[in-house]
Amino acid sequence: MKKRGKGIAVSFYGTGYGNGFPDVSTATIRLEDEGKISISVGATEVGQGAKTVLSQIGSEVLGIEIEDIVLINEDTSKTPDSGTAAASRQTYNTGNAVKIAMESFRKKLFEESKELLGLNTSIGLETKNKEVYLKMFPQKKTTFKEIAQKLKKQKRRLEATESFTAQTTEMDPETGQGAPYWPYTFNCYGVEVEVDTETGKVDIIRALCAQDVGRAMNPTMIEGQIDGGFAMGAGYALFEDLGLKEGRIKNNKFSKYIIPTALDLPEIEKFIIEDPESTGPFGAKGIGEPVMIPVAPAILNAIYNAVGVRILELPATPEKILQAIKSYGKV
Amino acid sequence: MINIKLNVNGKDYDLEIEEDLRLIDLLRDRLGFTGTKEGCGEGECGACTVILEGKTVNSCLLLAIQAHGKEITTIEGIGKEDDLHPIQESFLENGAVQCGYCIPGMVLSAKALLDKNKNPTRKDIREAISGNLCRCTGYEKIVDSIEKASKILQQRGSESHEQL
Ligand code: FES
Ligand code: FES
Repeated sequence: MKKRGKGIAVSFYGTGYGNGFPDVSTATIRLEDEGKISISVGATEVGQGAKTVLSQIGSEVLGIEIEDIVLINEDTSKTPDSGTAAASRQTYNTGNAVKIAMESFRKKLFEESKELLGLNTSIGLETKNKEVYLKMFPQKKTTFKEIAQKLKKQKRRLEATESFTAQTTEMDPETGQGAPYWPYTFNCYGVEVEVDTETGKVDIIRALCAQDVGRAMNPTMIEGQIDGGFAMGAGYALFEDLGLKEGRIKNNKFSKYIIPTALDLPEIEKFIIEDPESTGPFGAKGIGEPVMIPVAPAILNAIYNAVGVRILELPATPEKILQAIKSYGKV
Repeated sequence: MINIKLNVNGKDYDLEIEEDLRLIDLLRDRLGFTGTKEGCGEGECGACTVILEGKTVNSCLLLAIQAHGKEITTIEGIGKEDDLHPIQESFLENGAVQCGYCIPGMVLSAKALLDKNKNPTRKDIREAISGNLCRCTGYEKIVDSIEKASKILQQRGSESHEQL
């Protein structure tokens, strides 16, 4: 017999290193010869989209196209330290560093423009399409390229380096009081499963994922992260087992360590919830790890709803489910 | 050593190889088609997928001699950086690529599917890529991309038909 059940789970997750540990990202912005803008950050791209999002943040501040940004990362001889690509912290931490550094770069750019345009002050200068112009008299303008050429002749460089440090406090070990993380990311997932009461096999037939993101910098990539997190969470809940025996991994190959295939997953319905975070770059927060967290509890709750058994040890394999159904399940 | 002849991405090769050379090593190390990836080396992950005579195979499981006299397509034969295949364009546009390691295999599985089935359902697509493991994407945007590529290819097919 096949029985269906629904389950939900909610989670909140503090991103960043937390607990008062110094969580610092640094970014350097430079005007390059042809008027392009380089961003140097020691942020590692592993497919999560850091390069894209950091370029987006930088280009937004200067009002230029993403193609006009040269992103230099993953080269420690050329970049300042931006911390690890971990703790779901790159969008928030390094994103903030890029934003602050770009703002201070813009100030310097305006100072250079003031000289070049023979103005008394940099007040009222704005930038768009790789040009700096006077808002009240836009004919008064120069280009990034002209500024770069002038600097090259004078053998000078225009650059700005800034850091961002996330704010957290250590928890009091006695009372547990403190602000160990900031910001937090929230989510709520719902799944529907079908449990085969004869074999114990679980099929996930529906998945709904609502994810708070602060501000969605790149909705497509956010959806991709949610999909990937769901798949990892589903594997964790139902299949993946290292089989650790006396410090050795028994399931050390894909024929034994089973991860979900395209056939093991349902279509994932995604809801991006925007509630801008006041300390985030343009309101954005990190979601890398959070997207995984509610999946397993939602699935286990759905199994309980379907056949009345509580699986307390992962993965919820058919054998475990069948045994639980036989001993006390309601089918 | 043994002599084999094969055609890779439209070009003929006549080579002397060790009898026990795997196809993946021939493609990567001898011929330089490093777009073909090795994940598990035992037929489980699909990262090493290539198209052999119209069908996808795991190049880590075949000996190079098994490709004697045959035609092979690797990811390098699908499109070039400045002239991408609609499947590749669709992967890029729809956010299907995260770390990228599974992607050459995914694109080749998609190509083999769309060559046979012009209008696949999402279930057909999931079936076709079920031998390709992906740790990053949850497959959804890959499925979206293949579905969209099938529409583009169909449209182009009917347009070129009208021109005739
Ligand atoms: S490397 Fe061939 S299937 Fe994994
Ligand atoms: S994109 Fe990373 S394995 Fe598929």
